[in-house]
Amino acid sequence: MKMKIGFEVHEQLATKRKLCCDCPTNYRDAPPNTNVCPICTAMPGAKPMPPNERAVDAVIEIALMLGCDVVIDQPIYIQRKHYDYPDLPAGYQHSSTPIGVNGELVGVKIREVHLEEDPGAYDPVAGTVDFNRSGIPLVEIVTEPDMHSPEEARRFMRQLMLVLDYSGKVRPEAGTLRADTNISIEGGTRVEIKNINSTKGAYHAIKFEVMRQKGLIDRGEVILYETRAYLESQMITIPMRMKVVDFHVIPDPDIFPFIIDRAHVEAIRKRMVETPHLRERRLVKQYQISQAAAGVIVSERELADLFEAVAKQIDPKLTATWFRTRLKKVLNYMKLRAADIKFTPKQFAGLLQMVKLKRVTPEQGELVLRELVKKPAEPEKLLRKLGLAPLKRAELEAAVVKAIKENPKAVKDYLKGRKEALNFLAGKVMKLTRGRADPRRITKLLRAKLRSSKRRKKKRA
Amino acid sequence: MGRGTLEKLDAIHRGELSAVENVQRALEQIEKLDKQIKAFIELNPNARAEAEAVDRRIKRGERAGKLAGLAIGAKSNINVGDLRTTCASKTLGNYVATYDAEVVKRVRAAGGIIIGMNNMDEFACGSSGETSAFGPTDNPAAPGRIPGGSSSGSAAAIAAGMCDLCLASDTGGSIRNPASHCGVVGIRPTQGLVPSHGLIELSVSFDQIGPLAPDVYGTALMLETIAGRNPDECTTLDLSSVNYLDKLDVKIESIRVGTSPKFSELTDPAVMKVIDGAVEKLHDLGAEVVEVELPHLEKGLSAYYVIMSAEFFSATRKFDGRKYGRRIEEVCGDEVLRRIKCGDYISRKEQRGKYYQRALQVRTLLRREFKEALDRVDVIVGPTVPKLPHELGTKLSPAEMRAYDYLTSPISLAGTCAGVIKAGEVNGIPVGLQVQGRVLGEGTVLRVMHALEAVK
Repeated sequence: MKMKIGFEVHEQLATKRKLCCDCPTNYRDAPPNTNVCPICTAMPGAKPMPPNERAVDAVIEIALMLGCDVVIDQPIYIQRKHYDYPDLPAGYQHSSTPIGVNGELVGVKIREVHLEEDPGAYDPVAGTVDFNRSGIPLVEIVTEPDMHSPEEARRFMRQLMLVLDYSGKVRPEAGTLRADTNISIEGGTRVEIKNINSTKGAYHAIKFEVMRQKGLIDRGEVILYETRAYLESQMITIPMRMKVVDFHVIPDPDIFPFIIDRAHVEAIRKRMVETPHLRERRLVKQYQISQAAAGVIVSERELADLFEAVAKQIDPKLTATWFRTRLKKVLNYMKLRAADIKFTPKQFAGLLQMVKLKRVTPEQGELVLRELVKKPAEPEKLLRKLGLAPLKRAELEAAVVKAIKENPKAVKDYLKGRKEALNFLAGKVMKLTRGRADPRRITKLLRAKLRSSKRRKKKRA
Repeated sequence: MGRGTLEKLDAIHRGELSAVENVQRALEQIEKLDKQIKAFIELNPNARAEAEAVDRRIKRGERAGKLAGLAIGAKSNINVGDLRTTCASKTLGNYVATYDAEVVKRVRAAGGIIIGMNNMDEFACGSSGETSAFGPTDNPAAPGRIPGGSSSGSAAAIAAGMCDLCLASDTGGSIRNPASHCGVVGIRPTQGLVPSHGLIELSVSFDQIGPLAPDVYGTALMLETIAGRNPDECTTLDLSSVNYLDKLDVKIESIRVGTSPKFSELTDPAVMKVIDGAVEKLHDLGAEVVEVELPHLEKGLSAYYVIMSAEFFSATRKFDGRKYGRRIEEVCGDEVLRRIKCGDYISRKEQRGKYYQRALQVRTLLRREFKEALDRVDVIVGPTVPKLPHELGTKLSPAEMRAYDYLTSPISLAGTCAGVIKAGEVNGIPVGLQVQGRVLGEGTVLRVMHALEAVK
């Protein structure tokens, strides 16, 4: 089944001040309607301040990261887009003409990137509006309808989120994304879906919508051009009771248009963050690591930063393996993001050095890593704290002998050819040595001891 | 109020007249006359206390400011904190401003005392003062006739001596038109000279705050006080301060004054006769009078109405009935509704390119035309309003009403400045001369008006 899917994605920009006034943007931390002034509540007669340049620069940088051409040497207008809703104090929303055009990300064309302003937060149940959010700058990214399945759409959204995350220009906290998507399947009509708040939500909304539209077509019904809302709790879309509105777009006469010059764009390009897909390519080449490992490493900007800092100090391949497996595992287990990591690259390199020199086993290393994540310290110190000082050969041998002696049935089973019995015995040794021994050394030693005891038995017989 | 602005200021500075006395007299005058004239909608209950504070400063020998002790009226579309800034509308009937407009801050800092909020045409939509939800204002200079609009209450208050100076606003002629009808002085400043933060919009790209005063000195004084860049606004000009008073007395002998045959084509001959007389006076004062071309002058009015309506529609979307009283469309007068509907239509997507964009082209055309004309002369003089003010209550069609703006709206499109001073009378009804200047040509405009004022 052929289908076309496109997105309009809005994310809040991480500026300290709102777009057209000096109010702070930490709207979640402030009691309702305290981060407000006559401008962002559109009190009669209030005029906007000149647009926040940091917001404009952030949009330019994001546009560049999405491979867009930045619109230079011609006026960019801040326009008024009118609609009637309780969250919009002025009755119109500020929305710039395109700042970036003709971009591309994972094969999806980016039609345009521009600047917008967030409205307030309306609670229809309580009938209240909180204007703390009103006037916070947003970046809006509009794609061409270039995706052809829910999976492709999901892949694009993931990558887009990653790019935005990398840019460091959008708010890091979850729940600031707002996306609209439009879907048309062959023989149908374009339908818009609003109210999507996550990549997962986008995927489910599109999946539902495709099924719904296909069902209609199969039954010979007509698909209406309409705007629907996604209900996250039920993973369905429902028609929005919204008249088709004309936004009456006019350039805002309160704000002079601004012009971006080439030198400014180049200055931003120079300092701009490397995009995840370019970084992935570079990591593979520069550190000779696998594509898969690089993919995991670039999944968070801070993770990739840490990787490069560690890989400069110690074997990059070993580092990559550890990042992809054990570090990722520990972080997932503790529900942490790379940004939450407190230990230093040097501490992590120290740990890997111990592993490399076989002073600790990888398993022990992982135990140290857990501590490192919980409460950073020098790996040596953690090793002592965990009682993981290297085991003497004599101690290990004693433990092996003890395990063999105390578990005659397992020994017997093993000698009869039941290989699992060896694992059982190894577990016992592990317990006796309180996990300090390398499992590979244990099995090796166990096998040797058991082999010799078998020989002895044979001799006696 | 009996004497000129300069004399009064001197009297206050010398201690012959206290700020309190001055404010008290203004309030008495209002008390006496305003039931009939309706120049004010609301009075400032703190005016006396504010005057006392100014007197204390003067007594202590502190700098009390340029406007120290003067009673100032504010048009009801300029936010004055804690006063009802109603725009003479029902929608904002109970809106108490939460902040001072930038110009009000400057007036207060200069020792001016806001005495009250002036009546006006509802949301500045009108040229007669009759569309106010608080009732029409009478013309003190020609009782029973309209005072002009939309700054009807401001001009009437000055003409009736109810206050010393007024903060008014001009979009398509709202300062100049009532100045002409009431025989007072006013100026529409160059677009962006005076900060507009706190001015409730009629049409942002035309709205300009400016003074109305009994004399040129007062006009210049107020303009000096309020002009200059506000860094927190996008559209103010980059000008830190201005000075007009020092050069007010410079003779106008070397000045070139332009007139256009277009003016007489569009104007009542009786009015034109008075205007010609004023031009004659300027000639006698040594000014060189030459003719200039303004070939597209008459196209200004309709272009103005198109742009203004589109912007007015946009500006009124905030009056959605959720925050300020009732939804504007439910309670407004006919003229406001007409402009909203017109703006709604014009700015629709399917109309794109038909009206709004073409009106913007006319704007560019007039801007160029005035620039070319003003490259040849220092000022262009002509009538302000093409006809005499009608009697209150006369029914006019919307088109007849709009025709009042024929000669003022082109300057609004051009973005330049223009002042108005009384040129004479027709049957006792004042007629104002419009003195149109270059961009930031206020100094010259004020000088020309001052010279004319001196020979009267």
